[in-house]
Amino acid sequence: MSEINPGLDTDAIAMAIHEGEESKCKKDGEGRTALARFIKKTSWAAKASGLGLALFSSFLAMAALSSLLAPYDPWIRFEPYLWPGEEHLLGTNDLGQDILSELIYGSRVSLIVGFGAALMATIIGTTIGLFSGYFKGTVDEILMGLTDIFLMIPQIPLIIVLAAFLRPSFWMVALLMGSLWWTSTARVVRSKALQVSEMGYVRAKRALGFSSLHIMLSDVLPNICHVVMPKFLLSIASAMIAEASISFLGLGDPATKSWGMMINFAFSRGGFINGYWWWYLAPGLCITLFVMSVVLVGHFLEEKEISTLRSE
Amino acid sequence: MSLSGKKALRYLVALFLIFSLNFAIPRSMPGDPLTNLLGEDVMLTDSYVLELRAKMGLDRSWPEQYLEYWRDILKLDLGYSFHLHRSVSDIIFERMKWTLLLAVPALILGAVLGALSGARAGWKSGSCIHKMETAFFLAIYCTPPYFLSLIVLYLLSFKAGLFPLKGFYSTGSAVDIAHHLFLPMTMMTLFSLSRNYMIMRGSVLQEKGSLYAAFARAKGLYDEEILFRHVFKNALLPIITLLALDFGFILSGALFIEIVFSMNGMGSLIYDALLSRDYPILQGSFLIITIMVISANLLADLLYSRLDPRVRWQ
Repeated sequence: MSEINPGLDTDAIAMAIHEGEESKCKKDGEGRTALARFIKKTSWAAKASGLGLALFSSFLAMAALSSLLAPYDPWIRFEPYLWPGEEHLLGTNDLGQDILSELIYGSRVSLIVGFGAALMATIIGTTIGLFSGYFKGTVDEILMGLTDIFLMIPQIPLIIVLAAFLRPSFWMVALLMGSLWWTSTARVVRSKALQVSEMGYVRAKRALGFSSLHIMLSDVLPNICHVVMPKFLLSIASAMIAEASISFLGLGDPATKSWGMMINFAFSRGGFINGYWWWYLAPGLCITLFVMSVVLVGHFLEEKEISTLRSE
Repeated sequence: MSLSGKKALRYLVALFLIFSLNFAIPRSMPGDPLTNLLGEDVMLTDSYVLELRAKMGLDRSWPEQYLEYWRDILKLDLGYSFHLHRSVSDIIFERMKWTLLLAVPALILGAVLGALSGARAGWKSGSCIHKMETAFFLAIYCTPPYFLSLIVLYLLSFKAGLFPLKGFYSTGSAVDIAHHLFLPMTMMTLFSLSRNYMIMRGSVLQEKGSLYAAFARAKGLYDEEILFRHVFKNALLPIITLLALDFGFILSGALFIEIVFSMNGMGSLIYDALLSRDYPILQGSFLIITIMVISANLLADLLYSRLDPRVRWQ
């Protein structure tokens, strides 16, 4: 469901997949063409996802090793408004802080928010989807009803209203997003859990008298992981865009420098009007590149999943 | 084509819960609820504060306040903005017109163009041009809307001076308004276009492999005919659902575009309310958006069951 940013929405992608799953009953006969298509497509898709993976890991390295990579402490002040040059590769901002160092340290905050929100959303979504897919019946009705209701909450406006009252830290923003964003994961996991829990090995375990919780954790969950993973990656992407958007509104944590906050500072402190392009261009590009890398890897995993399903 | 009772119940519960949340937020947040309800930096005399407290029922118990809250909503009374000195519903309805002027054409254009170009890209997914096109739309899809808008505004309006820098109009003539609207509307169209493009492309890719498409080809139909007479209709379903949902977010959907282009619509109303901590406006907008989102979901459900025979006959 798209709201303020018509950019990323995993729900829309989930919906597209969901529709595909509903019509999966007509699988037979279709397998061969799909497989042929997959092989034909692989080279391009693999190349794109390879690029995505390379980008993704370099951003991870940047966040992990920021204290080694950054030339300066991001809070030290030099001469303000310096053009990109030898001393400061990406110039300095209005307070004279080195943009490159800010950018490298900012990757930490942005990635933590993205991963934190996505992790939370994935845990909630997987649990709810697993329970409703495994137990079916009333449990399913209630949990899916809850999911439908959460799907109808206008998320970004709600976060804006809450953030206006609370002035949250970036942890809070991540948790808030995570607790609203799990719906599409829950739906996908549920439909997969419905299938898996009818498999022979699950029935056999049930007949042997293992507890439901044990079966869910040791048999159903491992067979769902491959659907959860791409959803997790796509949630990171949408959380990153949302964090950048919320920071842009000035609702971020002013004590931390995320990429979104850097753009917000550049916008609100005149970097834009005065044409200091180096101030906001680099963080914006970083957001785009990181989100793109995550989406590429996620999409590749997802398409692989769909094609293996079909060629089975 | 009746809506099942379960679905209807979900809509009612969602509406009820979100409205209750809206009641609870200002009253449970840290600080004085009166400040939370009126907004910060509002200068009032002590006697007036007492009078307001009584009038807004803040001295009464929560259940009583809750009933009063619902009564006000049913009367379409969303409160009074002490920053703008007008009733919230008046302000919202006035601003809404401008946002609709910007967002409705952009959404429709984005859906039509996205569906058409996405369908072609999915149909001929191997061709080089379509691959480059997909990469381009993917890049846009992954960019925060406000960031790209900022750059476009900087380059085309600020540097090149081709378009006005801000607002909806300066003289008020139709040409002038169109001139002001062009850039923001293009940006909004571009973002909705790229989203719809990606989804339509995936959808056509899936449909392409299905048996009826193979049969149409076996009959000897032309490529274009198979795509637009057979595959297109089936692949379009997710786009129609999304378009219906988009209309739910139409008031807040332009938020960032409006802020960047300094346009006085709902988006900048929310933004200004946020900056000045004008809580009545924030809450009123949130309520209106909620109502629109829930009715859009309802619309999407109804549309879907009418358009997809598989759902209709279940």
